[in-house]
Amino acid sequence: MQQGGGSETEVTWEDQQNINKFGRLNNRFHELEDEIKFAKESNENLEDASNELIITDEEVVRFQIGEVFAHVSKDEVENRIEEMKEVTSHKLEKLEEEKESVLAQMSELKKILYGKFKDSINLEEE
Amino acid sequence: MASSSSTGSGTLVAERRGIPGAQFVEDVQTYLTQLGLDVNSSLSFLQERLQQYKLVEMKLLAQQRDLQAKIPDIEKCLDVVATLQAKKGTGEALTADFEVSEGIYSRAKIEEADSVCLWLGANVMLEYSLEEATDLLQKNLDNAKASLEVLVTDLQFLRDQVTITQVTIARVYNWDVHQRRIRQVGAPPSQD
Repeated sequence: MQQGGGSETEVTWEDQQNINKFGRLNNRFHELEDEIKFAKESNENLEDASNELIITDEEVVRFQIGEVFAHVSKDEVENRIEEMKEVTSHKLEKLEEEKESVLAQMSELKKILYGKFKDSINLEEE
Repeated sequence: MASSSSTGSGTLVAERRGIPGAQFVEDVQTYLTQLGLDVNSSLSFLQERLQQYKLVEMKLLAQQRDLQAKIPDIEKCLDVVATLQAKKGTGEALTADFEVSEGIYSRAKIEEADSVCLWLGANVMLEYSLEEATDLLQKNLDNAKASLEVLVTDLQFLRDQVTITQVTIARVYNWDVHQRRIRQVGAPPSQD
C-alpha cells in the first residue's frame, strides 16, 4: 500500500500516524463495502418476501424462526417483515453514512500525505 | 469507530496482548548505528517481524470470523425463545416444520412450553425456564459482542504495527539506495 518516502523527505511520527490512520480507514472502507452489500441483499430478500406474500392465497405461511419453519398467519408475517425491513434499511442508511465519512477522511489524509511526499507515496489501490 | 487508538504522547505503545509494538524510526542512520546493524540484517529483521505480524493477523482474523458467525446464531436462539414466550398463555400451540434429518422435515406442535433445553456444549444439555434461557442467551450474546469489540481493537493495533514496519522497511531500503548513489557518484545525485 505504501511506498515510503523518497530518499530526501523526512518521515516524522506525525506522518507515520497519518499513514496508519489512512491504512485503518482503508480497511474499514472495505469492511463497509461488504457490510453494505450484505445489507442490500437482505433488504431485497425481504422485499421479495413481502411481494410473494401479497400474491399468495394461503392464510397461514411458514415463517423461518431460528432453524424451524413456524406456521404463522399471513397478517402477522406481514407485520414482522415490515419490522425487519425497517431495521435493515435503517442499518443500511447508517452504513452508507459511515462510508461517506470514511471516504471524506481518506481524501483529507491523501491531500496531506501527497502534499508532503508527492509521488514518493502511493495511496491508491492496486 | 475508526478513531486513533494508539496515539499516545508521541511514543509508541510497547505491546498489546502479547503483540510487540513496532519501533518508529526517526532517522535511519541513527537507528542503524544504535542497533549496530547493517542495512541487510536490519531489513531481514524487519521482514521477519512483518511475517510474525502477518501470522498473528491470520489468527485474529479466524477468531473474528468465528465470533461473527456465533453472534447471529445466538440471536436466532433468542428469536425462538421469544416466539415460544409470546405463544405462552395464549392457549394456541406453535406449529412448526422442523428438519429431522438433512432434507427431511416433520411437523411439531408445541403446546404451552414453559422451558427449553439449551445445548451447553461438551455433551451437556440443560433445561431452562424461558426466562432463564433468555437471560443466559442474552448474557452469551453480550459476551460475544464484547469479545468481538476487543478483537477488533487488537486487529487495529496489529495493523498499525504492520504499517509502521512496512514504512520502515521502505525507508531503510530507500536510505540504502540513496547512500549507494552518493558513494557511486561521489556527490549527491543531481537528478532524482
